[in-house]
Amino acid sequence: MNVKHIQTTVEDHQVAKLAAFAIALHMIEAVIPSPLPGVKPGIANIITLFVLYRYGFATAAWVSILRVFASSLLLGQFLSPAFSLSLGGAVVSLVVLWLAAHLPSRHFGPVSLSILAAFGHIAGQLIIVRLWLIPHAGISYLIPIFATAALFFGLINGLITAKLINVKPSNN
Amino acid sequence: MRKVILYAAVIAVIGFGILQFKPKAPLYHSQSYVFGTLVDISIYGETDERARAVTNLILQDFQHLHHRFHAWKTDTSGHASELGQLNEAFAKGTSPIEVQADLANIIRDATALSVKSNGLFNPAIGHLVSAWGFQRDEFSAVQINQEAINNLVQAAPRMTDIVLNKSNVYSKNSSVKLDLGGYAKGYALDLALQRLRQEKIKHALVNIGGNIIALGQHGQKPWRVGIQHPRAPTAIATLDLADGWAIGTSGDYQRYFFKEKQRYCHIIDPRTGYPVQHTQSVTVLIPPQSAHQIQAGVLSDVATKPIFIASPENKNQMAKKFGIEYLMVIDEKSNILISKKLAKNLHWQQPDVQFSTFE
Amino acid sequence: MCNFLRLNNQLTKYLRLGDSILILMSIIGIIWLFNTLWSNEQAAKVQIRQGEKIIGTYSLNQAREVQVKGPIGVNTIHISNGRARFSKSPCHNQYCVHQGWLNRAGQAAICLPNQISLELIGETKPYDSLNY
Repeated sequence: MNVKHIQTTVEDHQVAKLAAFAIALHMIEAVIPSPLPGVKPGIANIITLFVLYRYGFATAAWVSILRVFASSLLLGQFLSPAFSLSLGGAVVSLVVLWLAAHLPSRHFGPVSLSILAAFGHIAGQLIIVRLWLIPHAGISYLIPIFATAALFFGLINGLITAKLINVKPSNN
Repeated sequence: MRKVILYAAVIAVIGFGILQFKPKAPLYHSQSYVFGTLVDISIYGETDERARAVTNLILQDFQHLHHRFHAWKTDTSGHASELGQLNEAFAKGTSPIEVQADLANIIRDATALSVKSNGLFNPAIGHLVSAWGFQRDEFSAVQINQEAINNLVQAAPRMTDIVLNKSNVYSKNSSVKLDLGGYAKGYALDLALQRLRQEKIKHALVNIGGNIIALGQHGQKPWRVGIQHPRAPTAIATLDLADGWAIGTSGDYQRYFFKEKQRYCHIIDPRTGYPVQHTQSVTVLIPPQSAHQIQAGVLSDVATKPIFIASPENKNQMAKKFGIEYLMVIDEKSNILISKKLAKNLHWQQPDVQFSTFE
Repeated sequence: MCNFLRLNNQLTKYLRLGDSILILMSIIGIIWLFNTLWSNEQAAKVQIRQGEKIIGTYSLNQAREVQVKGPIGVNTIHISNGRARFSKSPCHNQYCVHQGWLNRAGQAAICLPNQISLELIGETKPYDSLNY
């Protein structure tokens, strides 16, 4: 029998831990009731941002998409509207992050990236809602509310991320 | 360099923010009920005091006109209005009575317009309007008296029956009864414009019971008016009304009653004596006219009537007779027909409005 | 006080110039969104006039009935769920009642005999005056 050994690095372990942590945060948030459907703090995005700063965009995208698929499977929402909303939000938010990562980092820190990602998130979700779930204009009324929530939570998450990346990486 | 760009960006953003909160323009707006209808006057760029004073002058003019030319009301002492007295004289016989110069002018102009419309615009059919119950502030479904209506049509009252000799007037036909319902609002618009110019007001919009005339513009932008949807409590489209232009609409929704699910509106075909039922509304847009001609206000009020009454295939021809280039007709099935020139100027209020254009 | 200073210090440490500009721009953008999406489409208030007086301006979000007295009697105006209408009128022709519900800024209904008008208002009106 020929057993193939996959070499894993410390970094792989770190990323796996972070992905697991992101899934946990996502699931905690899914259980917390929200005053308005769609308005959520999005704390799992802290992990995506953190990974982006530590390991680069490709790893961050991997962690983010893995989190969407894994949590929807665990919550039994795979391929449901809730899943498509999550995925739409995550994809657009990643595209925005990829673009935002090119901004001069001397002036634009994690707070900017976090806010832009949050806007990307609601934009992606609204596109899904408009195209598929509720194809009439009534939803436009809610856009300013979503945008306000995105700015607020994006700011908070960005500040938390800024604090986290200033902590020296531990070596376990 | 980068810092300069950043600071420029900050200033641009703050500037944009301030623009969002620009102070309100000095617009004076008044609504009142004179002339048996809603009069709505907007004046731009004057102090409130000045605008109020001029508005009051205009409202006094209207009140005065209303008392003189009302077709069915008497004054507090029970005397008929000037127009009422004239109609009494018409009914009695052929002895001429003297009228004031402006009423003589109105009769002359209304007669010319009536001739131009082949008699479809006919302010001499006051008895018919009365038979249908529309000469009342509060009206309801009437008992339709076929015979009385036929007799009134047979009597054939026409504007050309009225003989005008300077300021002396009589009628060759005793069935003539003047009803200026389709003329007075437009006349009042022209009067208001004259008054505003005399008072050196530069920018104003006057709306008398739906007919509108513009003077100047609303700040940096032209005055914008909405056109009533004939079957919904909203505007069907909006358009810009330039200096001196007037807009008028005749609609079957303005005064009407329902009887056995049939709508009977206030616009009566003088040839049949019956309310017109093939049209929901006719809107015309009139450019400023040269002095000594019939003015835009009167034209905007009068021209819609013969176009409304004319059969669908003759409407465009009737509009051409009045030199009207901006025209919209909505027929009984809510189909919209527009002249090409007007189509370019309309902003629809709903998406996907279907319309066709006149050739 | 000490806590506040520390928080303030941390904020400046994590917020760079570009971040602050982005936050400012976002706030302005959101205000703009509120202005455009919340005023034109859906009306916020109804203004009721009798004769030349403004009887009142009411929010459309609070259900209520307003009774207004005019020369020929009392009109009842019904406000609920972002809409307003004449629900009862002493006039013969009942045009005002037939106008039905109004819910968009710029819409209006008039009871001419009783000289009462309803006008829905938002931040901006689509036109200065209505040709009817």
